Amino acid sequence: MRADVVVVGAGPAGLATATRLAEAGRQVLLLARGNGFTHWGAGSVDVLGRVGGEPVERPLEALDRLPEGHPYHLIGQAAVRDGLDWFSRFTAAAGLAHRGDLERNRGQVTALGTLRPTCLVQEPAAGELSGRVAVVNFAGFRDFSSALCAQRLRRAGIDATPASAPLPAWDHDRYFTGVELARAIDDAGFRRRLAPGLARAAAGADVAVVPAVLGVGRGHEPWADLQSLVGTPLVEAAIAPPSIPGLRLFAAYRARLEQLGVRWQFGFPAVGVERDGDRVTAVRSEGASRVLATRCQELVLATGGVAGNGIEANRDGTLTERVAGLPVDGFGDRLGFLGTRFLGDQPLAAAGVRVDGELRPMDASGAPLLANVRCVGGLLAGHDPTVEGSREGVALATAARVAALLTATPAR
Amino acid sequence: MTTTLETDVVVVGGGVTGVAVLRDLALRGVHAILVERFDLGTGTSGRWHGLLHSGARYAVRDQESARECIEENTTLRRIAPHTIEDIGGLFVLLPPDDEAYAAQFVEGCRASGIPTEELSTAAAHRREPLLAPDVRLAFAVPDGGIDSWALLRSMAADVEARGCQVLVRHPIVGVERTGDRITAVRVHDAVAGQDRTIGCQWVVNAAGAWAGDVGRMAGVPLTMIAGKGVMVVMASRYVRGVVNACRKPADGDIIVPQHEVAILGTTSEQVSSADDISVPPADVDRMIDMCAQMVPAIASGRVLRAFAGSRPLYKPEAPAGGAAGGDTREVSRTFTVLDHASRDGLDNMFSIVGGKLTTCRQMAEAVVDRLAERMGVTEPCRTATEVLPGADHGHHQVAAPLARVERDQAYGELICECELVTRGQVREAVASGLTELEDLRRKVRLGYGPCQAAFCAWRAAGMLAEGSEEGDPVAGLERFLEERWRGQQSTIWGDQARQALLNHAIYRGIFDLRGDGVPDEAAAVSPEEGA
Repeated sequence: MRADVVVVGAGPAGLATATRLAEAGRQVLLLARGNGFTHWGAGSVDVLGRVGGEPVERPLEALDRLPEGHPYHLIGQAAVRDGLDWFSRFTAAAGLAHRGDLERNRGQVTALGTLRPTCLVQEPAAGELSGRVAVVNFAGFRDFSSALCAQRLRRAGIDATPASAPLPAWDHDRYFTGVELARAIDDAGFRRRLAPGLARAAAGADVAVVPAVLGVGRGHEPWADLQSLVGTPLVEAAIAPPSIPGLRLFAAYRARLEQLGVRWQFGFPAVGVERDGDRVTAVRSEGASRVLATRCQELVLATGGVAGNGIEANRDGTLTERVAGLPVDGFGDRLGFLGTRFLGDQPLAAAGVRVDGELRPMDASGAPLLANVRCVGGLLAGHDPTVEGSREGVALATAARVAALLTATPAR
Repeated sequence: MTTTLETDVVVVGGGVTGVAVLRDLALRGVHAILVERFDLGTGTSGRWHGLLHSGARYAVRDQESARECIEENTTLRRIAPHTIEDIGGLFVLLPPDDEAYAAQFVEGCRASGIPTEELSTAAAHRREPLLAPDVRLAFAVPDGGIDSWALLRSMAADVEARGCQVLVRHPIVGVERTGDRITAVRVHDAVAGQDRTIGCQWVVNAAGAWAGDVGRMAGVPLTMIAGKGVMVVMASRYVRGVVNACRKPADGDIIVPQHEVAILGTTSEQVSSADDISVPPADVDRMIDMCAQMVPAIASGRVLRAFAGSRPLYKPEAPAGGAAGGDTREVSRTFTVLDHASRDGLDNMFSIVGGKLTTCRQMAEAVVDRLAERMGVTEPCRTATEVLPGADHGHHQVAAPLARVERDQAYGELICECELVTRGQVREAVASGLTELEDLRRKVRLGYGPCQAAFCAWRAAGMLAEGSEEGDPVAGLERFLEERWRGQQSTIWGDQARQALLNHAIYRGIFDLRGDGVPDEAAAVSPEEGA
């Protein structure tokens, strides 16, 4: 097999990179071991939520306060703007309009009643929590507690009251997950039966917070429809993985990539590369019964950090980049991986591959190691996507940079 | 403010020994109160590998211990089968091991009354398919697994039904003496925040590795040796029964499957304080490498966590404050009853020191026999025949939680998928007054599994919030997460590192929790268990 560009990884960075390159006419193969942080995140676009632990109001201005070597410094503000502009256009066209902009962060309500700082959220999560707020769970849904959420919101000065809405009779009354409930809500008939109970639960409230399960396969249409049936603004609260807004986004990418003719190998991890001097000539990936080699002109690694499985943390404190064996700064021993507090900073989360301004991996002296390999997203050294709240921003901005670099000259 | 209680006997220490002493007294009709500084089983009783000894581990070097073990193994199976996994054990001889030791082992078991059966290597592999292919000899012994918390809960329920009292979170703060007699024990009620004085006729010191501290308060010298043992918890069982190396006991020679996990043990190192439960990474590596010689799959397996416990070793001639660093395996694992009247001129206190979980009932019988004689109580010991509440369920089956979920069709009701904890169990625990996730964990095993509470902790916090408008359940959640995190660093690499960062991404990233309300030392005073 062969491709102009092989993109490895189908998280926020790999999906955006593959889509943008394909839109620019490059022939792309997307190789992925499995799902990434579309599924495991909050379903929003974090650009820069916190610096030094303090919430950031104006993400673009705060970029300057990040330490040297941060991916944002390598690629510059223009790439950040480009990344988010493209994303906003792409998602709006796909029926997944986002709200927010780079000038100011907003608070995204979560299942625990916290208001996490983020930049863009999907429309169903964008409503303001003002006036009387009903926090409504769907009866029997175990991944959301209206009591817990409302208690915490009240601590933030929000007039929140817990409530419960019954579910109409359906196939899953003993056992259901958020995804199954979201699939049911995709159905217009189910929504019509659901709406009266939800309206009773939200009666008297100016806005209702509900778990983020309002449809998964039909963009934001189920949310808009249910909201008009209920007659109260509905705001989705982020729940633990899998993120249903993230699944919507993943489905939109997948549809777009298919439309663009991008080949997609899902479930088959890349396990190595073939090299000729300082160029990678092919990527090896596990197939059903053998290892396949795909020849390529360019390789983009979007495999993630340790959390995303792009980097293996070894027992002896060293770190291994899993596809091309790129150098990653390790730790003296494994006690250095993690902090003494779980909710504090975790050094391992910031581990990654050091790159130059064109996102090519560097050796210790700062010289590029491989001329035709680029690294994007969580794989990059110098940032902690969780603690900073920068995951999707770094993904989209580095995807923008790679798209510019690899489409500046005509293919081949 | 001080309140006063009166009783015949105060038992100090809420490990298995202390609770067994209390039960023995209760069954002889003696009124007694047990005081424990934390919760039941938070010392050595909660920090061990869970082996119900057949005695075979001691058969070569310490036959007195071996005989005690096999007797009590038989007794516990009768009185507390519901706390025991009847899984048996193997001793396996590997290529570098000495065949002469195997002969001594078989002879030692015979002399100690421990039934053994030599298996062909083919039969050993049928029984334990993951056993190393190069095993040379294998002997089956009646080892088992025992859940010390289940045993403690069952014994405590029994004594409370018989009118005795268990006071947890009541650290002892002083002993009142008049001449050669103790007249009262002073404790601090850590929940109510007040001191209490318990007037008593007798005191039994069953504080295990901390017995020396109690001795000091009573004014009698008592030197315990703290023998630290490090254990490693693997994310799955690997073996059907216990697997031991057939060699002189050494580091990393035992694998005990327990509930959903396997525990690798153990080291044996003399440390200067029983509170030293640190886990050096090198010890973790050694456990894994040594146990992987018996079961090679362990080498690439997923490690959940590691912990250390402190063996309560007593050596009469031990020099005060004995030197740290030595191997403590040479100290006998049998137990000793100390009558401080003849030993130290303190008329009404006994200490029970040494021993091990398997022999806790026998230890209690020995000390209470001596005490009863002095008290003039003629009721004989009945703990070996009176079965414990819950015993009618038979042995614990590892698949019992799954069977319960199947029976109740409670799939959608699962709060903790790893340990199959249902909404009903949590609801019941909350209704019984539990307010801390940490207590829920000990009670229903919530959060023990491979995901280390990533997906159950917030669900359970939600149920606590539904149960009460009081308190701040999110702060309670943060406290729980920080407590679970302690001591994990030495076992985090590979898949478990990804799990840790995913959990971090959920709680810190999605939920934006910051743990601001949890002080750094919050967890330091609260002991934490292994499995």
